[in-house]
Amino acid sequence: MMLDEKQLQQLLKLKRFEQPPPGYFERALEEFHRRQRSEILRRSAFQIWFERVSSSFGNFRVPASAYAGAFGIFAVVAALLGTGIWTPEAINRNSTNGLTQTEFSDSGLKLTSRGEIQLSRPETKFQKNFPTIQPSDASRPRYILDRQPVSYQPPASF
Amino acid sequence: MEDPNLLDDEALVRRTQNGDTQAFDALWQKYSSRIYSLIYNMTSNHEDANDLLLEVFAKAYRSINGFRGRSSFYTWIHAIAVNMTINFVKKRGRRFQMSLDDLDSSVHNDKEFIELTASNTPTREVDLSELQQRLNEAMMKLSLEHRTVVTMFDIQGMPHAEIARILGVPEATVRSRLFYAHRQLQNYLEEFRKK
Repeated sequence: MMLDEKQLQQLLKLKRFEQPPPGYFERALEEFHRRQRSEILRRSAFQIWFERVSSSFGNFRVPASAYAGAFGIFAVVAALLGTGIWTPEAINRNSTNGLTQTEFSDSGLKLTSRGEIQLSRPETKFQKNFPTIQPSDASRPRYILDRQPVSYQPPASF
Repeated sequence: MEDPNLLDDEALVRRTQNGDTQAFDALWQKYSSRIYSLIYNMTSNHEDANDLLLEVFAKAYRSINGFRGRSSFYTWIHAIAVNMTINFVKKRGRRFQMSLDDLDSSVHNDKEFIELTASNTPTREVDLSELQQRLNEAMMKLSLEHRTVVTMFDIQGMPHAEIARILGVPEATVRSRLFYAHRQLQNYLEEFRKK
């Protein structure tokens, strides 16, 4: 025969008598005071303040209705996006154009009207917005090949 | 000055918030035994219960300025104890030892205890310490959630509504957990009885 509910509850009531030895709670209170004193000495004022603030937040329980509300907002936004009633077009257009231009200008390739492909210095958005000083042709290094290589010159005669 | 031990919880909390440490000592004297019992029956270990008791009261002391009285102090400190103990037991995992071997020596003269053990129950025929051990083993086989409600309802004698407030769950959940916990305990203890 299985233990019935009443018998089980009687058994569990026995556990009420499992108590620490007499005088335990007085000693524990003294230990509590000792720890409190040492904690005050050990911890900075900021740490104590931070823990008090965080514990006051810890006591805050999020009501069940808040979860339902958050889900509702998510559902409405998802429905609006899904049906196309509202789309963040402006953001998309700007970002798409920007990407295309960058990709093209980054490659530095241009197709001329004559069908030639030219490699040009890519112009970035940054340069458009913030013009930079370009070096002039005069200051660019120039490399001129001599008509006759040095090695072909006859050795100097003394 | 008024004796803090004669004041109600609300007044003691207000005094503690104003820096009266004796008022907090009075709260300790009022609730430490219950909190200890709660922690001890959830952890099954006296040393852990001792450490956690001190930590629970330390946390309560640090946080008491944030206590706004939306619930009673009784509910509030029990909620702290339950949360800290659950976190502790989860962290501890499987590595623990039971230290459930010491009934208070004065208990054998307790009227209620004599009635319980002398009545026509399965406890009469078995050695008390062995029964105690089996009962605790059975308790430790329960899930933490089930053990918590059994501790609060059957051992501490709290009403369902109070347990629900402390745990932050509906009352129906408390009843459901109790029902399944009792069924499990009955099965575990039945095996012991057959031996």
